[in-house]
Amino acid sequence: MPGGCEAQISVKSPSVCQNTLYSCLGQKQVSLSRLGLMFSMSKLQSGNGVQWKDSRSQRGTVESLAEHESSSLGSDPELNGVTNTEIQTDKYGFIGGAQQSAGENADIPPDVLRQREAKWLDMLNSWDKWMAKKHKKVKLRCQKGIPPSLRGRAWLYLSGGKVKKEQNQGKFQELDSQPGDPKWLDVIEKDLHRQFPFHEMFVARGGHGQQDLFRVLKAYTLHRPEEGYCQAQAPIAAVLLMHMPAEDAFWGLVQICEKYLPGYYSAGLEAIQLDGEILFALLKRVSPVAHRHLKKYKIDPILYMTEWFMCAFSRTLPWVSVLRVWDMFFCEGVKIIFRVGLVLLKCMLGSQEKLKACQGQYETMELLRSIEPQYMQEAFLVQEVIELAVSERDIEKEHLSQLRRWKETHGELHCKSPPRMHGAKAIMAAEPPSRQDLKQNPTIIVEVPQTTESKTEKGKKTKKIKDTKNTSPPPNPYLLPSDPPLPSDNLSPSESQHLQKDTPLQGSNQSLSSADHDTYL
Amino acid sequence: MNMGTDLAYNFVFKVVLIGESGVGKSNLLSRFTKNEFNHDSRTTIGVEFSTRSIQVDSITIKAQIWDTAGLERYRAITSAYYRGAVGALLVYDITKHLTYENVERWLKELYDHADPHIVVMLVGNKSDLGNVRTVPTEEAKVFAEAKGLLFMETSALESTNVESAFLEVLTAIHKKVASKEVTRGSISAVTLGQTLGPSSEFKEERRSCCNSS
Repeated sequence: MPGGCEAQISVKSPSVCQNTLYSCLGQKQVSLSRLGLMFSMSKLQSGNGVQWKDSRSQRGTVESLAEHESSSLGSDPELNGVTNTEIQTDKYGFIGGAQQSAGENADIPPDVLRQREAKWLDMLNSWDKWMAKKHKKVKLRCQKGIPPSLRGRAWLYLSGGKVKKEQNQGKFQELDSQPGDPKWLDVIEKDLHRQFPFHEMFVARGGHGQQDLFRVLKAYTLHRPEEGYCQAQAPIAAVLLMHMPAEDAFWGLVQICEKYLPGYYSAGLEAIQLDGEILFALLKRVSPVAHRHLKKYKIDPILYMTEWFMCAFSRTLPWVSVLRVWDMFFCEGVKIIFRVGLVLLKCMLGSQEKLKACQGQYETMELLRSIEPQYMQEAFLVQEVIELAVSERDIEKEHLSQLRRWKETHGELHCKSPPRMHGAKAIMAAEPPSRQDLKQNPTIIVEVPQTTESKTEKGKKTKKIKDTKNTSPPPNPYLLPSDPPLPSDNLSPSESQHLQKDTPLQGSNQSLSSADHDTYL
Repeated sequence: MNMGTDLAYNFVFKVVLIGESGVGKSNLLSRFTKNEFNHDSRTTIGVEFSTRSIQVDSITIKAQIWDTAGLERYRAITSAYYRGAVGALLVYDITKHLTYENVERWLKELYDHADPHIVVMLVGNKSDLGNVRTVPTEEAKVFAEAKGLLFMETSALESTNVESAFLEVLTAIHKKVASKEVTRGSISAVTLGQTLGPSSEFKEERRSCCNSS
């Protein structure tokens, strides 16, 4: 393969649009020849999105890792062949689009972050105890925001996905290996390039991100064939995949679909309609002005809350806010989603002044579609959500009353979903795990020759390279195809073979420390 | 090009885009209202909408185009979506015969939920992919005629016939409305400041200023 990534880009017609990958590239003054792109402005190529061939450039991984250690290109190999000085990703992986961060949020000071990480590691190490006896503290820490390095792991623990995974070892692999119902596969395939297309993980057609998305969604349709696939599951799965490997994301999705938001994605979409009515009913107390307005213009909740709720706001809020909301959502359940909805409605429609601008159904819907950034801003939104007095009980009470109304107008529910679990504690209580289920597994294990142990500093996040008696360097898991294989004292031939292939980091079974100490990617 | 700026307009017509997932509804919407096309536009979840005002016989019509998810199970939530619609573009993909085969089901859904006098156009999208066509133009045209539907093939990607399609639908709606072929109240043409709903009456209004926003 020649050096550099080849990409064929088909471009939108040259007209005004701020939010495209291509205009972002333009603004960042991409050096096209350097990227080796074939770029056609005048002729639209049908059927092609951005396609990054799988070849790595000679510059490739080794150099870019060395040069750009703080690179936010992260785990996606497709973009590793391209120097990241041209394509600017924000720290969440967005290359462009409405959810890309403009760097407006102050970073948390590293020492605070390290402290939080230590606390979270401690909690994860004795998760059952914390959930049983110190749940309030867990909740508080979720409200403060989970440290990014542990977010994926924490989500998996909070959701009970970790337990599910351990109790069903081999299950995902089994589903992954099956062909799947062509009817679902067809729809899923159509959606792969339509989730977070501005995120580096999903921008490449046929790339690892899209592949994993396919695997996770397919596995779900096999796991629950009577449910099949619902389009809103794709963004949910995508958000999970941004934080954890496919198998974990699968179990996270299972928990969301079955415990947090049961029935949301089922045929008939009754659950989401009911929640829409619940939201509207709760709004009466939270903001009578907004409630009256929506009633006056006969604006069905389904017209504004569908995407909000089905995607758990992942398509609505700025990314940092999405993550904060999800941190709380995994801990406290759907009431967080309700609270976000109520806050936004109150902010946008809660006063006569604001309503002057939307005297009509269409105008109101337009307003709700472009929420003012100040109301979605991380600090503001989180605080409002925490302070809003809407409890699980309120929701359940309203649920009963709306269900009664529903039955009067629609008859019995076609899809009887199990009752929802209002957060991590409820899930754990319903399915108590064993200690073994909660044991943490390092995601990277590097076999290092027999060594002297060096102690970790207490409470610090560890990523250590050990002293070795042996003078040979640790095996390089990032060998290029052209490099000679290292003497595999530590690896079986199949393992070193495996490492030389283009495998995602998660697939490696190399770690940087002994098994005694937890290591975190 | 007048792209939906709020100049004076006489009518507001609500038009819905329906059809299977992936046929190109969202891009037809963006092409018509913003002159944009995106290969990687996001899957529509819930409702998307946009407006554009056009001139039809010296009358200014504000087209309010609604777009929603095409996946089967979303049909459960569409009654709110159809309310007050006076026109519909029923879209299929000329390269995917299955999307054309399902048109009958979409028609039924439409007539179950929408105004019986709704103007419907059958739209065969992705005409730029003629080399992998699976639905012959003639066949679809004949079907449309048999069902009393307007017909056009479009390409949102190349911008072919998108204007014409919407223009034809809006003109047909206007004709119906203007000829008073329909009695008061049974066609829900929406005008400025009115709520959408079967009870809203068809009115002609003259406004000289734009929306008060």
